Amino acid sequence: MRKPPKPKAAFFDFTDCEGCQLQFANMGETLLELTELVDIVNFREIMSEAGEDYDVAFIEGSITTDTDVKRIKRIREKAKVIIALGSCATIAGVNGIKNRSPLDLAKQRVYGDKADTVNTIKAMPVHEVVKVDYFINGCPVYIPEVISVIKCVLMGKPYPVPNYPVCVECKMNENVCRYEKDQECLGPLTRAGCNSWCVNYGNKCYGCRGLVENPAVNGQKDILLKYGLKIEDILNNFTLYNDSLGEKYDPEFK
Amino acid sequence: MKYAVLKKENLNKWLEYLKKKARLYAPRKKENLFVFRPVKDVSEVCLKYIPTILPPKKYYFPQKEKLLKFSIEPFKTAKAISEFEEFILFGVHTCDIAGIQCMDVVFRDGPEDPNYLNRKDKMTIIGIECLEYCDQYANCASMANHVPRGGYDLMLVDIGEKFIIHINSEKGERLVKGLSYIKESGETEMSALERLREAKKKVFKEEFNAPLNKVKQAFNQGFASRVWEDVGKRCVACGNCTAVCPTCYCFDVLDDMDLSLNEGLRYRIWNSCQMDDFAKVAGGEDFRKERANRQRHRYYRKFKYPVDKFNRYFCTGCGRCSRSCMAQINLIETVNSLAAEVKES
Repeated sequence: MRKPPKPKAAFFDFTDCEGCQLQFANMGETLLELTELVDIVNFREIMSEAGEDYDVAFIEGSITTDTDVKRIKRIREKAKVIIALGSCATIAGVNGIKNRSPLDLAKQRVYGDKADTVNTIKAMPVHEVVKVDYFINGCPVYIPEVISVIKCVLMGKPYPVPNYPVCVECKMNENVCRYEKDQECLGPLTRAGCNSWCVNYGNKCYGCRGLVENPAVNGQKDILLKYGLKIEDILNNFTLYNDSLGEKYDPEFK
Repeated sequence: MKYAVLKKENLNKWLEYLKKKARLYAPRKKENLFVFRPVKDVSEVCLKYIPTILPPKKYYFPQKEKLLKFSIEPFKTAKAISEFEEFILFGVHTCDIAGIQCMDVVFRDGPEDPNYLNRKDKMTIIGIECLEYCDQYANCASMANHVPRGGYDLMLVDIGEKFIIHINSEKGERLVKGLSYIKESGETEMSALERLREAKKKVFKEEFNAPLNKVKQAFNQGFASRVWEDVGKRCVACGNCTAVCPTCYCFDVLDDMDLSLNEGLRYRIWNSCQMDDFAKVAGGEDFRKERANRQRHRYYRKFKYPVDKFNRYFCTGCGRCSRSCMAQINLIETVNSLAAEVKES
């Protein structure tokens, strides 16, 4: 097949831990295969060059300052395709906890008497500021899904993030349900696509991929009652990643 | 030989023998539940078990199955699997055998499904009859699947010190013939089997409050019943009930390119009517948007539609959907409420 010219890809991080980029760096041989298809021109975790000419921009992290807003808008102007990478970029993730309290209070808590010197705004997923073409959810991102998305980008196809819960994949993997083990698992509410990664290894689901479009909050409450779990417990788990959605679901849970 | 006898002390010896004949799958423990797995160590095989998390359908209708390989330039397609391997399913409950019979009906109905039929051809089923209930979720007696009703090659019945083996096919006979430790059963064993079946009648009672024909009638009239609303309120659409059902066979087909972007594989993957987008069509119309409608659909696919189409109930009574439902949607309760409601009206 005639090979189209290789698109140039760049990686940019905003407010995050850079763990999703680390997932890329840890890909091993697959990363080499990927470089056959894509030219990586800017990726500070693995290279010293920093090219400013790119087609595809992987955006890691949440937007949390005015400077971030300006910077992401500049990237949007240059890039043909923007991919939000990881929970911080797709749903604001852990950073979203900040939005729970008024901004001044949050600043005070973190920076104390230096609070006034800090420029910060509410934590936002990338798509709240600029148009995002592809979403790769997860904390960190799940490499097989990353590969699927990259293939879609190269073929010019959309990548629909699964809109069914993690339970679907979890059952296919024949895991013993976490509720059977008296753990409050967010699987029934959380978007699949990770192949129930955490549960396969004996953990529970923390909801890092965000909620399905139409979660059954009332049904979920009944489930907690059945297993003798407290609403607070699930709310604590829930707010770890999905606090930016808190306003929408808090009243229903409480 | 129609019935054979195997002493329990020789079971592991026989399992070793079967393991050499073909790939052997049998139930074993996983945490507090059970799963079918390839047998590595015969001592792990567990014949006293409640229905496994997934039914053995994963071996004849895998979760994700390759159908076709293809390349774009030059354009070529070929079967993804050219040869299927022989395998033995060991220790299958009668409810799960009923599940296989249902799948047979579906996949043999034209156009026949070659992948399923190829796998089925290579499959040997060795069942085990249940002598008591696995737990409170089973409704096998109402579905009349608590006793063997064909569909297997060999059927084991535990009569204490020994297993009686019912030989139901040539394929099965080949696995018991010529072995010094498997003998033809005598009169003592046959009368033991008869006594055991008599005793079983006292253990297993129809779980539904109505006979099956009345249940069917309730489904005929109960499409608008309040029962579905109630079930829908509790459902979180996790899809557990359909994944674990031995007769749910819906699948999606997807193409996956490799990194060359020139070659790829076409897969089919389990799909579920409980998922949000399952009945959504181009243009965005969703025919079963409400969870209540989706649950109702699942029940109708067990108690009405296949009965009208194939004259067969697609509920096997294994109880998996109720057992795995986090929201406590219980099949026996649902069917009983529906039957009671229709009776009242």
